[in-house]
Amino acid sequence: MYNNQTTKEVTLTINGKSITAPASLSVIQALWHAGYPRVEGVGCLGGVCGSCCVMIRRTESSELQMELGCQLLIEEGMDVFFQIFDTPSHHSYQLSEINSSWDVQTEFHRIFPEAQKCRHCHGCNKACPKDIDVEKGVDLAISGHFRESGELFVDCVMCDLCMTSCPEFIEPNHVGQFSRRVTGYFDIRPSNLINQLEAIRTGELDVNTDNEPQS
Amino acid sequence: MSSGTEISNNISYAQALQNFLKQTEFPARELAIDEAALLERFHPDHNQENIETLQVGPNKGEPCHKQIARFLQADSRIDAADLAGARIQETDILVIGGGGAGCAAALTAAEKGAKVILATKLRLGDSNTVMAEGGIQAAIEKGDTPQSHYDDTYQAGHQQGKKELIKQLVMDGPETIRWLIQQGMQFDVDEFGDLLTRKAGGSSASRVVSFRDYTGLEMMRVLREAVDNSNIDVWHYSPAVELLSNESGHCAGAIISTLHNGRFVQINAREVIIATGGIGRVHLNQFATSNHFGATGDGLVLAYRLGAKLRELDSFQYHPTGVAFPQHLSGTLITEGVRSAGAYLINALGERFVDELKPRDIVAAAIIRECEQGRGVTGDDGIRGVWLDTPGLEARHPGILQQRFPKLLQLGVKSKIDIRSTPMLVYPTLHYQNGGVVIDSNSLSSVPGLYCVGEVSGGIHGRNRLMGNALLEIISFGRRAGAEAASQCQSRGHKKIGITHISNLRRELMQHGMSMTTKAPLLFPDYVHYDTDSQEDGNFGFGD
Repeated sequence: MYNNQTTKEVTLTINGKSITAPASLSVIQALWHAGYPRVEGVGCLGGVCGSCCVMIRRTESSELQMELGCQLLIEEGMDVFFQIFDTPSHHSYQLSEINSSWDVQTEFHRIFPEAQKCRHCHGCNKACPKDIDVEKGVDLAISGHFRESGELFVDCVMCDLCMTSCPEFIEPNHVGQFSRRVTGYFDIRPSNLINQLEAIRTGELDVNTDNEPQS
Repeated sequence: MSSGTEISNNISYAQALQNFLKQTEFPARELAIDEAALLERFHPDHNQENIETLQVGPNKGEPCHKQIARFLQADSRIDAADLAGARIQETDILVIGGGGAGCAAALTAAEKGAKVILATKLRLGDSNTVMAEGGIQAAIEKGDTPQSHYDDTYQAGHQQGKKELIKQLVMDGPETIRWLIQQGMQFDVDEFGDLLTRKAGGSSASRVVSFRDYTGLEMMRVLREAVDNSNIDVWHYSPAVELLSNESGHCAGAIISTLHNGRFVQINAREVIIATGGIGRVHLNQFATSNHFGATGDGLVLAYRLGAKLRELDSFQYHPTGVAFPQHLSGTLITEGVRSAGAYLINALGERFVDELKPRDIVAAAIIRECEQGRGVTGDDGIRGVWLDTPGLEARHPGILQQRFPKLLQLGVKSKIDIRSTPMLVYPTLHYQNGGVVIDSNSLSSVPGLYCVGEVSGGIHGRNRLMGNALLEIISFGRRAGAEAASQCQSRGHKKIGITHISNLRRELMQHGMSMTTKAPLLFPDYVHYDTDSQEDGNFGFGD
């Protein structure tokens, strides 16, 4: 549902089609408003699934920018292209096959052999709609600083734009995910959780469903 | 919804913002309220005009929201002739839905050696899970117990939840967190490495664990990566349009529509797990929604047609704090975590008007009351809402928004509002389907071979859900459904597979003189014109 009561309208171009819509709409809402069906490239509509990547050019600037179409307000004269590619990863790994945290660096280079070929071309940084310092994240992973690398990818929505922009096929977002996952897998051992698991295992903690609770 | 009160004295957005910014103290009006009366008068569930009695199907004679009844009692999208030309694919387990519940079920079934196809309408992870912000409940703090978690869940659901399901949910809590960590998910921890917890509205203990306000994103990234690195066969842009059954009424697979070319594929499966989520994009009572694009109740109608019993079809959750302005983001969720951290809700008169940590139905009803009685903010273009006082929270805890709510800060940036100094205008947003398909403790529906997991199922949350219990449910019950379905795959295959239930449905609809013009599942909200365009060029975007 979208609200289109605003009277002010703007005209813009989306995938080569000229569209006029109320200025209060997002790029995706504007497409629907104009009667164009749009299913591919629409996902959560909340800015986190990475489905609706668009490349845009604003008036009075030749610079291309990457944005998420669900959160981008339309502007007069804006030129918008949906960036929809199939981007399957060519890397594959199982966390359970990494025997100990001593092996993570070796495993990383085995799984992502291209990572060290990074040319520092900044293509990934420029492509990222979330302004993540992707290149630095890859550098940190190469040097074995997985926690710090993963921390840079906190905002990552896995839109895969950095994959498509990398000339060495590094798949930087998957490098970021690897960094985050090994950190969780090997480093998070919360004692409050472990104590409670033990209390449940021994039967010390249980639930009585006949217990009528106080409201 | 009409309350009978004249809307008057409404205050414009600009004026109200000015009033707000001038004020430093926000007095609390009498916060003790008659909760039952508040819900009765202002919660959208209680408006009887929206309820009708079902005429056909397993819930015949029971109350149901009109907009849900419309598609539960609708015609199928397919005929027997469509099956004749369809390609046939065989698998052990078919999972329908690519959010957190579907992934947890698929991963567990595959781990047990079953051959799994996961078919999803959009892409893997384009779901409500990925948007979940608040966190996931598990009684892990010293002094907290699964019993308290059980009591809180049962009470918040107005004592309508199914006791054995709630018991299983809360007992699974700690193990669920461990499983997620083993998939590589991160959680916020303190300086000793203990999991940080916070208190959900309507809870007696600090029990919600989270990763910033990105809990769902973190969870979905990890689950998607795990599925992509497994041998699960993932079908993107492949919504299920009908279930199949065998000679004895056992679910036996589904008909999948491929959006790319509009063709049908028949997937024969030993067991089927539905994890299609909820109904936000049906926009009940014309509310904006926090839900993803595909939340059109597809699983409800698929299961209902095959004979699965549903429950609480008249009970929905309106999350108190959806974005009310700017309009292009209207309905977007703002996490309850902000209120847990101490942010107030302030009306246009500069008053606090409700205890912000009451259960969601109470807080949502209180906001609607303020707006209907003229104490809400009314902007141009029919915008209405109350303030979420993030500036006050920031003043009391400098740096907290940056540190714990990065997603909310980003939302502010997209709204051209610095939430550290300017409050967001909020109004309840349609968030969650409290009920759904009746299940047992293995997530099995009343139809043999058909499991339902997550929001599509009902019984755990009664008539109101606690923050953090949905993420717990999708993993806990997802894993159980996956394991149980895998263990049933040893049985002998189906002899005869078909869609005889569709002829029965059509006969019943006709007998009751019901319109056959609506086709269900809906698949997409009507405003995207999915069905008005030809299969060849329109349905899948344009110019591609």
